[in-house]
Amino acid sequence: MHGLRGDPAGGRIARDVEAVTRRDAAAKLRGTAEFGTDLEAPGMVWGALVGSTVAHGRLRRLDLEPARRLPGVVAVVGPSELAGLLPSGKRDAERPVFPESILRYRHEPVAAVAARTLAEARAAARAVRVEVDPLPVVSEIEDVFPEWPGEEGPRSPHVIAHVRANHGDVDGGFARAEFVHREVYRTNGVHQVALEPHACLAEVNDTTWKVTTSTQTPFGVREDTAEILGLKEDQLVVDGSWVGGGFGGKAAAFLEPYALVLARACRKPVRLALTYREEFELGRTTLPSIVWLDTAVRGGKMTARRVRLLLDAGASLPGRDFATGYAIAFLLGPYEVPAFELEGYALRTNKPPFGPHRAPLAPQTAFIGESHIDSIARRLGRDPIDFRLAHVWSEGSTTPLGQKVGPFGAAEALRRAGRLAALWRKGLKPHQGVGVGVGFWGTGVGAGGEALLRLTADDLSVLQVEHDIGNGSVVVGLPAVAERVLGLPSGTVRVLTADTASAPYDSGVFGSRTVAALGQAVEKAAQQIGTTLAKRMGVRAKVRLEVERGQFFAVAGAKRVAVRELLTPDERRGGGLVVRDRHYGKPGTIDDARVREGTFYAYHDFAASVHLAQVEVDRETGAVRVMRATAFPDVGTILDPEMVRSQVEGAVVMGLGTALSEETLWGPDGRMLNPGLLDYRIPTLGDVPPIEVDPVEGFAGAGPFGLKGLGEPPIIPVPAAVANAVADATGARVTELPLTAERVARALKLL
Amino acid sequence: MSFSLATPATPDEAFEFLAQDPEATAILAGGTDLLLDLEEGLVRPRTVVSLRRLPWREIRWNGPRLTIGSLAPLADLEADAGLRRRLPSLAKAIHAVGSLALRHRATLGGNLGRASPASDLIPLLLVLDARLSLVRRGDRRELRLDEFIVGSRRTALAAGELIESVTIPAPLPSEYLWQRVRLANDISQVGVAVARGTTTSAWRIALGGVTPRSVRLPSAEKLLGPGLPAPLAMELAAQEAAQRAPFTTDKRATEAYRRRLVYVLVKRAVAAVAASADALPETPSPSRTAKKSVPAKARSTSAR
Ligand SMILES: Cc1cc2nc3c(=O)[nH]c(=O)nc-3n(C[C@H](O)[C@H](O)[C@H](O)COP(=O)(O)OP(=O)(O)OC[C@H]3O[C@@H](n4cnc5c(N)ncnc54)[C@H](O)[C@@H]3O)c2cc1C
Repeated sequence: MHGLRGDPAGGRIARDVEAVTRRDAAAKLRGTAEFGTDLEAPGMVWGALVGSTVAHGRLRRLDLEPARRLPGVVAVVGPSELAGLLPSGKRDAERPVFPESILRYRHEPVAAVAARTLAEARAAARAVRVEVDPLPVVSEIEDVFPEWPGEEGPRSPHVIAHVRANHGDVDGGFARAEFVHREVYRTNGVHQVALEPHACLAEVNDTTWKVTTSTQTPFGVREDTAEILGLKEDQLVVDGSWVGGGFGGKAAAFLEPYALVLARACRKPVRLALTYREEFELGRTTLPSIVWLDTAVRGGKMTARRVRLLLDAGASLPGRDFATGYAIAFLLGPYEVPAFELEGYALRTNKPPFGPHRAPLAPQTAFIGESHIDSIARRLGRDPIDFRLAHVWSEGSTTPLGQKVGPFGAAEALRRAGRLAALWRKGLKPHQGVGVGVGFWGTGVGAGGEALLRLTADDLSVLQVEHDIGNGSVVVGLPAVAERVLGLPSGTVRVLTADTASAPYDSGVFGSRTVAALGQAVEKAAQQIGTTLAKRMGVRAKVRLEVERGQFFAVAGAKRVAVRELLTPDERRGGGLVVRDRHYGKPGTIDDARVREGTFYAYHDFAASVHLAQVEVDRETGAVRVMRATAFPDVGTILDPEMVRSQVEGAVVMGLGTALSEETLWGPDGRMLNPGLLDYRIPTLGDVPPIEVDPVEGFAGAGPFGLKGLGEPPIIPVPAAVANAVADATGARVTELPLTAERVARALKLL
Repeated sequence: MSFSLATPATPDEAFEFLAQDPEATAILAGGTDLLLDLEEGLVRPRTVVSLRRLPWREIRWNGPRLTIGSLAPLADLEADAGLRRRLPSLAKAIHAVGSLALRHRATLGGNLGRASPASDLIPLLLVLDARLSLVRRGDRRELRLDEFIVGSRRTALAAGELIESVTIPAPLPSEYLWQRVRLANDISQVGVAVARGTTTSAWRIALGGVTPRSVRLPSAEKLLGPGLPAPLAMELAAQEAAQRAPFTTDKRATEAYRRRLVYVLVKRAVAAVAASADALPETPSPSRTAKKSVPAKARSTSAR
């Protein structure tokens, strides 16, 4: 444990708070932590998937026989085998285990095999003959709509979702404008690149279907998988393994149904894992978008805005119009505007299905919205930070969709960024520039969960269902909440993880919600422990706990009683003092009068995220080097400074990839062109600049002690800040992510 | 995939293994390329002969003549004080390869044996006039690098033959510049090597990056003339190089951008060599050996 002040390793955290030890570190460093790809069971066999050979086609014939004849093969399952394997319950028709006729993307699983060794399983998968009549492939947004569609748009068979909203006098705003600023932007797909691929182990016996899997959402996997297979939810048990990174990529069922079907077919435990190439080819990642922005400006203010979005949804969009209805409002940013019009389409293409990626679409939309507002400020000759301050939300502001904003740290963060920018500017050399990026996020406190705390004479534990995904929210965050409520030193509360049959319900580790939302259930349960003990001690004062030589004591004022004495005889013999509490958030409400079509989603707890970046641009080649970055996250309060710093640093590194080098590339035949880590380029350590963190506290969120979720917000403004710094350095605006040297060179008119 | 692994202790033992089944035998040095090929099934040998126990690792100077054993790990080469002092361009090009972890395994012989169009070492070795010493049981021959590399991943290596060493006749004032997207573990979009012959004063320019094999650009070289070129000559030579380079578009860069990079990097490399041309010592002088010379920290693009 160490304080952070003046920590030479990087970020600066203003307060000198003791950092908490990572409770998962020992197991991970010793290699005893079992990740999805480590799972084993006696008699286990290996699974492999058979994929579609085209991006779009009609399945003519699936010949499984050649695979069945190979050595070591114990199961070969295609669509026709399912009826004999699954219960007769109703299966989700929209999500068949294997497609019966139309294949929608290349490598879409059409069958699965299991064999004694991995090599035999892969050989068997290759031996399956997939005969397909190809159909025309739609690989890009432009194949559907070469330009923004008119009236006929909604009738296109490729439209999965269409959303529209407006408010105020938009036409009037544009008519009275001193000028209208119009731009078109484009973003490309990014992949989560969790180190650990998707992996699971399925076991099926007469009564229970069980899958152990690397997931952010055990209960979500249970729900999805039960629907896909037509099982009753309590027939299915989902257990988590350690998770080697999720970033949104492990927040829904994926391999579990295939593994379970195979396990059912061969009556043996089946391990199924993707190769890293398959991680890319099977997608579930963010896909491209094209955005048109028109902004009317009058009297130095934005008076009316029109935003139109086309989103590539791939073969399917989880939650249908969620991606459009949630992301589109990010394009307006956290700014007040008297009149606006939003319209967005999600379009089906023959890429693999869309999936969430840390703050889904928010870094992309913030890049677009923030580049646009920056170029308006420059056109007006205004300082970009001052211009933002003239519009930015504060507590009580109304969002475009009519939500009321709670305590919101954007203005404070912007003022700090402004002071730092002025300092940086003093030392700028030619071809260097400073840029700001602003984002907001509605952290997922709306999604519910329950916590179970158990106090015995010598132990206090939190029981829940998720394994830590690497960010510490489960192993550090949840116990830290209980520790703070009960006045315990850090490291005294244990986290126990159990499967869906034993642990209380929680919606998952996603949406920056774990500590902010599930933490509220832990907070309330810990308070219950305090009040129960107070009652038993006969005191009114607040009770805190102490640990001495491994024994727990309850303390109230001068009174100090061993917990052992306060437990009932049954509790002493049995499970201790068990309390359960829950947090089911009230969904936010939007103003329905502003919605014209489709579903828009209410954000929950508003968190701001402001970053500053300094870059140097090679004027002859367009190469961009990020020299430094500082983040001003709107955290509410700090529960653990080490976690704040590591979340922000990780988010900046990941955001730099989105900003500069990461993009999925697709051929016209729907084939992914760079399905590997050589040509899908995440940053290396050498590409990462010094990162500083200056948290903005005091704008309380809905989480315990007023904290706000922090998993996603710090990635949001990274591409925006870099792009604006490039514009500051060169005067040229790059309108497509990522900002590769070649795109910058084009913006500089070098080619 | 299954094969038998042989780890001969001497060159003669190695030649024996190689002679047994030459068509189905793969040669393993550091394995950074070969293991990927094996994994992806691009090669399916019955026997893999590991060169791990063979000597061929030394760096030897004989007057101006530099000989490097084919099995020298790249990390050892870039750390070699003599090489860094007398031929800093080569130390720099070696530093550009992959990442440090990779360079601990990767060898010089493997880089040439691979003959990758994207090699960061081949262009510079071309302008330095490198020669390869190839050995076979009872036989030895010398080939110029441009004779050895015959195409993308194709060499003149005969069955049963091994690269023993690489020789550079004399260190020349030279420079290697490259551009790639990120610092490490990336493939150069373009690599440009420039050298100036000390006796003939003739300029040499070679490109790597996308053409199936690295090429010299004689027409651009000529525009630089003998001696130190005027700024206009450098500009014209850079333009000529950009025009002549036989490039194509691929997923790493478009043709137009590659031409732009060749133009910029040739201009910069020529200017750097011209500036350093007279300063470079031909032979180590005792006064300088004690001084540590550290090559400039490589960056993700040398073009910055
Ligand atoms: C992640 C990654 C990044 C990379 N980055 C770069 C880069 O930036 N620049 C670059 O130039 N390269 C790069 N490479 C390619 C590779 O690392 C180099 O080419 C390396 O020098 C190969 O050496 P090796 O000893 O590992 O060769 P091996 O894989 O052992 O062998 C390569 C080939 O050469 C043959 N061979 C090896 N030694 C001999 C010998 N003595 N005689 C005859 N034939 C022989 C082998 O049979 C094989 O065909 C990268 C590779 C990876 C995996």
